[in-house]
Amino acid sequence: MTSAIQTINLSAWYGNKQALTSVSMSLEENKITAIIGPSGCGKSTFIRCLNRMNDLIDGFKTEGEILIYSKDVRYIDPVELRKSVGMVFQKPNPFPKSIYENIAFGPRIHGINSNRLDAIVEESLRKAALWDEVNDRLNDNAMELSGGQQQRLCIARALAVKPKIILFDEPCSALDPLSTSKIEDLMLELKKEYTLVIVTHNMQQAARVSDHTAFFLYGKLIESGETKQIFKKPKEKSTEDYIIGRFG
Amino acid sequence: MRKIKGLAFEYICIGATLTALFLLALLLWDAWDKGAGWLSWRFLDSFPSRFPEQAGIKSALWGSIWLMLLTALISIPLGVGAAIYLEEYADRTWLTRIIEINISNLAGVPSIVYGILGLALFVRWMMLGRSLLAGALTMALLILPIIIISSQEAIRAVPNSIREASYALGATKWQTVKFHVLPAAMPGVLTGNILALSRAMGEAAPLIMIGALTFIAFTPSSPLDPFTALPIQIFNWASRPKAEFQYLAAAGILVLLALLLAMNAAAIIIRNKYQKYIKW
Repeated sequence: MTSAIQTINLSAWYGNKQALTSVSMSLEENKITAIIGPSGCGKSTFIRCLNRMNDLIDGFKTEGEILIYSKDVRYIDPVELRKSVGMVFQKPNPFPKSIYENIAFGPRIHGINSNRLDAIVEESLRKAALWDEVNDRLNDNAMELSGGQQQRLCIARALAVKPKIILFDEPCSALDPLSTSKIEDLMLELKKEYTLVIVTHNMQQAARVSDHTAFFLYGKLIESGETKQIFKKPKEKSTEDYIIGRFG
Repeated sequence: MRKIKGLAFEYICIGATLTALFLLALLLWDAWDKGAGWLSWRFLDSFPSRFPEQAGIKSALWGSIWLMLLTALISIPLGVGAAIYLEEYADRTWLTRIIEINISNLAGVPSIVYGILGLALFVRWMMLGRSLLAGALTMALLILPIIIISSQEAIRAVPNSIREASYALGATKWQTVKFHVLPAAMPGVLTGNILALSRAMGEAAPLIMIGALTFIAFTPSSPLDPFTALPIQIFNWASRPKAEFQYLAAAGILVLLALLLAMNAAAIIIRNKYQKYIKW
């Protein structure tokens, strides 16, 4: 087993407010790791550290190390880093442009020759299981798609820059159950090629899709391990309380 | 009793609205009544004259058009650039905040003050004389704060999720601004710019201050030519004793109003056209 992502004593602050305290964990390649925990426990902060999205927030700082394929992210240009670590957000956020342009933007800014774009757009949409629904209207505005389609478009958009890792920040919390199950099926398909990390509020979702689960509480990593073990025999009392719904 | 008070307040508000509308209608009707008869192609295509029946607004109309084009050329790049810097690049420090407060304050400075500044800075110190360019620079200063503020608001209204989406794909700040933030903010930016320009269109005071001519029998052919503008021509006619010149002034007002309404209509059309897709 290879670890795609490793954090060592990662702490993070928004201004003076500490959001993560000394998180050390390693996430395996070609697996889905679910991060669960109540609101404000630092799970979003954690994955947004992995592609340095939090750098955009004034007053945010980190301590400790984050290694992506053994390289310290602090020494990778954020633009390069985000090319290999893609992200899908909570609320579908397609650009208010055509479906085609949404996907083509990423490869284009990374200097991909424009005669290869058509192929990349098709490949990405196929991988995101959206091609059959939109192939006859690639020039329509992406805002006209349904919420679930928009989210799959955002996944396709992330795939188009050929990342190794994709981070999902509560990707289904704004979607209906049917769209949610489509995204979950898609994730299971994608893990053959990519390493996936998903932050979720939905315990069943974590149980359904993930190989590994990590439980965060008050900015600390309480417990992590095989999803089955976490859900069946958690070692920590607070993990158990959270999973059976005693709080959260 | 509470109901009566509520009702009374409603009627007072209706009354206030109607009064304003009535006065506006009266004003328009007055200008129309006096000026409509004098509107003709000849009026648009003749230079000013001592004889009312031969006088027209050709030089003022062309002066205003020149002035607006130059003002737009100067103020839009500067204003939109400043807005992009303040919204997207500048750190939120006390200095940025002071700059922003001062820009808002500048938007409230009386236009005559800009005229004095223009006179000292452009006409005398830069030795541009009473030229179109000096007028356009002065007008640009006058509307810069409005352009900056309205562009900032348009840029701020672009949701952060779009910026995040772009950054998450590995875009740089400039790529994010160029491909996503600016296009999404464009309807708002354009609307603000057009409204700011239409304010400049109606201003007479700063132009009189910098010494724009009131009687001019040619159309400008370069930015360094002397010029006059519609509000100045109207002001000039309105201050003459002969009754016919009052009618000419009214006709000039109608032309100016038509131009302003056209600009505002353009702003509304642009906004509606682009807003169709940009809903968050």
